[in-house]
Amino acid sequence: MTDQIKINVNGSEISSKPDQLIIEACEDSGIHIPRFCWHKRMDPVGMCRMCLVEIETPRGKALVPSCTTKVSEDLVVDTESDVVKKAQEGVLEFLLINHPLDCPVCDKAGECPLQDQTMAYGPGESRFVEDKRHFEKPIPISEIILLDRERCILCARCTRFSDEISGDPLIEFIQRGNKTQVNTFPDEPFRSYFSGNTVQICPVGALTSSSYRFKARPWDLKKVSSTSNCSSVGDSVELNVSQNKMLRILGEDNEFTNQGWLSDKGRYNFEYLHSEKRIETPLLVKNSNKESTINETMELISNEIFTSDNRNISFIVGHNSTNEEYYALNKFVKNLNKVKNGNSVGSINLYLSDDYLYNGFFNDDYSLGEIKDLDSADTIILWAQDIKDNLPTLYLRIKQAVRNGKKLLIFGHTNTAIKQLSEEYYGENIVTNNFEFNVEISDIPNLSKYIDGKDVLAIVGKSSPLQNVNPIFQLVKHLDENSNLKILNCFSKGNTLGALQNLDIVKGLNEFVTEFDSSKKNIVFTVGSNPVNNSIYSHKVKDTLIDADFVVSLDLFKNETTELSDIILPTTTFGEKEGTFTNLEMRTLMQNKILPTPGSALNEWEYWLILSNKMNLLESYETEEELNSMLCKDYIDNGNTPSFDNLNKPSNLDGILNSKTINIEVENVDSTNLEILFVHRLYGDTSSQINSPSISMLGSERFIEMNSATYFGSYMLNSDVVTLIQGNNSIQVNVNINESLPDNLLVVPINRRGFQNLNPEKKVELEAAKSREQLSVT
Amino acid sequence: MSWEKELIDKANEIIEMYPQKRSALGPLLYLAQEKDGYISNDSIVEISNLVGITEVQVKSVASFYSMYKEEQTGKYLLSVCKSISCEINDSRSVIDSVKNFTGLENYETDTEKVFTFEEVECIGACGGAPAVQVNYETVEGLTSEKSVQMCEWLKEERPEIIVADELQEKFGGVKSFDWAIKDNTGTSYSVPGFQNIGTAKEKSQ
Ligand code: SF4
Ligand code: FES
Ligand code: FES
Repeated sequence: MTDQIKINVNGSEISSKPDQLIIEACEDSGIHIPRFCWHKRMDPVGMCRMCLVEIETPRGKALVPSCTTKVSEDLVVDTESDVVKKAQEGVLEFLLINHPLDCPVCDKAGECPLQDQTMAYGPGESRFVEDKRHFEKPIPISEIILLDRERCILCARCTRFSDEISGDPLIEFIQRGNKTQVNTFPDEPFRSYFSGNTVQICPVGALTSSSYRFKARPWDLKKVSSTSNCSSVGDSVELNVSQNKMLRILGEDNEFTNQGWLSDKGRYNFEYLHSEKRIETPLLVKNSNKESTINETMELISNEIFTSDNRNISFIVGHNSTNEEYYALNKFVKNLNKVKNGNSVGSINLYLSDDYLYNGFFNDDYSLGEIKDLDSADTIILWAQDIKDNLPTLYLRIKQAVRNGKKLLIFGHTNTAIKQLSEEYYGENIVTNNFEFNVEISDIPNLSKYIDGKDVLAIVGKSSPLQNVNPIFQLVKHLDENSNLKILNCFSKGNTLGALQNLDIVKGLNEFVTEFDSSKKNIVFTVGSNPVNNSIYSHKVKDTLIDADFVVSLDLFKNETTELSDIILPTTTFGEKEGTFTNLEMRTLMQNKILPTPGSALNEWEYWLILSNKMNLLESYETEEELNSMLCKDYIDNGNTPSFDNLNKPSNLDGILNSKTINIEVENVDSTNLEILFVHRLYGDTSSQINSPSISMLGSERFIEMNSATYFGSYMLNSDVVTLIQGNNSIQVNVNINESLPDNLLVVPINRRGFQNLNPEKKVELEAAKSREQLSVT
Repeated sequence: MSWEKELIDKANEIIEMYPQKRSALGPLLYLAQEKDGYISNDSIVEISNLVGITEVQVKSVASFYSMYKEEQTGKYLLSVCKSISCEINDSRSVIDSVKNFTGLENYETDTEKVFTFEEVECIGACGGAPAVQVNYETVEGLTSEKSVQMCEWLKEERPEIIVADELQEKFGGVKSFDWAIKDNTGTSYSVPGFQNIGTAKEKSQ
């Protein structure tokens, strides 16, 4: 087959890839064919007939749908002939027969393909005088999505998305003929992590989201491209703002990362930005939360650092800062270290608030993969956290790769949700409850068949906070010896890779609590992190912070950590700051500012700058841009560094791959007796989610999982609501049976309130609860 | 659990006849319909678990085809053909007299749940037009008198199993083909009789 073939469209010759659809080939050459049902990321169905074109066939000219007809050498296509125009008019006239004329109250109006194409290709007048068909308007099909069936033109984009792309077909066409409608099964709502994508791809206003309903008109929106913090995939997004309020986030099609899709958390987790609870002025917590000023607080902090000798300073950082902010913090630490020579400061350390941090695979020992390697590898190996919950858009890419014939092998007990996608699921027969191997790696059934001499992409990371990581290294070593291996390091949270790249040495929370020396004076900064929640070390961190002499929190909201602080400094976040973000494949992307800074909040880096200057450690930067050009000097390959200038070039909008030396110093935390497997669910109780009303309830259910042998056998339960007891802790939870789990392992979501004080190595007791009502955190 | 073990075993036997579980959907829906006279949501949940697709996907198929009923039918589903061949052989009078006898409009079921009446498109018996089906068992060459007699007989006798040949003998007229092999099997509810899925019922002589 040749690489390119020639076809003739509207009298001019264009070249096309063989096997392409006519609509795609035309699109690539800048010829737009109207369409409703065709979407380049989904299989064609030919539902709407809007894309009809005329082609020449041996029997003369014929009208064919260009979205289901492939090109062939010397094909002659006419997209604008009179016949085509007549067909387009006809299709639109039919589509409008039952379409309500409620554009004035429809969210889609102004960006509606049906409206736009009716203007461009429609008949201009309707001949339909009969009554239109009616349905109840709109019905909720989940907590966050509404469906107006009258407006639906039956393109099947939403139903195909939920089946082909996200793999949770909870909506389908029901009924036939005039009554055909999209709907859910009664009492089975469209609860999908990806439901918001259907709202974005619906070509009419049939699917709308509760968070955006009646909020704005598209022509009033200010828009900017950015990169989502939702996971370390770094999904490309478009931020939509009106009157200085973020109203909507849309997915942008980045070929290398999210390919247009977003998880609902990535899409709807933004209302917190405008929450009344946002901290907008510095607060003196110990002084009954008295409002203070930047000047006063900076004075207090620099005095604390300098007034007495030999203070230990710790920074606990989160994963939502920009690369520039991490870089500025790192510079600040280096500066403090310089002062250290004068003996006023003891040891200074940086800790990342992430229980899944471990040393990983970096720095040339192995070849690192990209997400796109999913599409070229023969075999995909997954041994990491629950991908669907923690890297939702990466899950979509894996699902797509499997659909295209790639073999997926899953190890361990965390990815039970995608077991059905796997060729081999190496669960309890291969991996113990403590995530160690039961058998020699070389004896794992069928493994060699899938890896020997093959292209393998291994997505590896810690599955559980308490986990001996040596088996991961053993597996990777085995894979490396037997296959053509590439590794995708699975650190799932936000800009973790940015932190790792720009902070000289990073440790974990376990190191923080063990290294803490209470005989010294201790100053602790928490920077966009809430380590007193969501971590298995939470209770220890809490004790440590109570013990510390001076705690400063840079944050957006009051939370469990800021309660223990002396000072809270208000900071900016997603949409309010400009900077770069590095995703898990070390692709650096732009995050843009479109919202004003709230109150007297400052960017994190501005605080480090002011503090440096207060201490006469004069810094040579004044803007993000300057920080960016400074940090760009450290990249290993200077050929294409992710500077603002470079990233804003049209050719680099999909991000720039580049690496830096990474030093992680995390000790292996062995566990020999795991009773509880802590997992992170997509929805939890972070301040940002709690303060986003549209999605705040999605993370409130408390449930645990176990297999039925454990449920009936070990615990002898018969109620799906139980009380979980361990020492002084007692929590009411729902029980979900999950047969893919091994015996005697309870899966517990650590990012939902109430679970952090459990000791994962101690057995819990479960008692049937008296009432069967759904239990939620109130 | 809305399905008894026996029915589930039967369903699993059917599933085994297909290379993919979901391909058994059609027959399983007939099992559900034979059980209740319509496809209940409980049965949909059961089938979705059995074949491994979501409930709404089952519902989508069940609500698309007109032979899967969404509401309970009477013991006897009377499907009177209204298509062209029957029409020109005076199906109008058959339709009218059946309607008249039962007092039902299209898709209605009487309160005692004896009859459901429906007008349907061609049932493939054009050669013997006008034709009617009772629980999908076909009678050909009907007249308005014969069709009323048939309804009366059904109402009084309440036969458990409806057999086409028996109906034909008692009430039918001209047949499309009269050389067909005598068949003593029929159906017991508003479901076509298929040997391989067990909806065909043998009538003892
Ligand atoms: S709801 Fe929207 S996306 Fe779904 S079929 Fe109807 S028009 Fe298409
Ligand atoms: S776009 Fe081709 S038929 Fe809908
Ligand atoms: S038209 Fe009535 S059976 Fe064909």
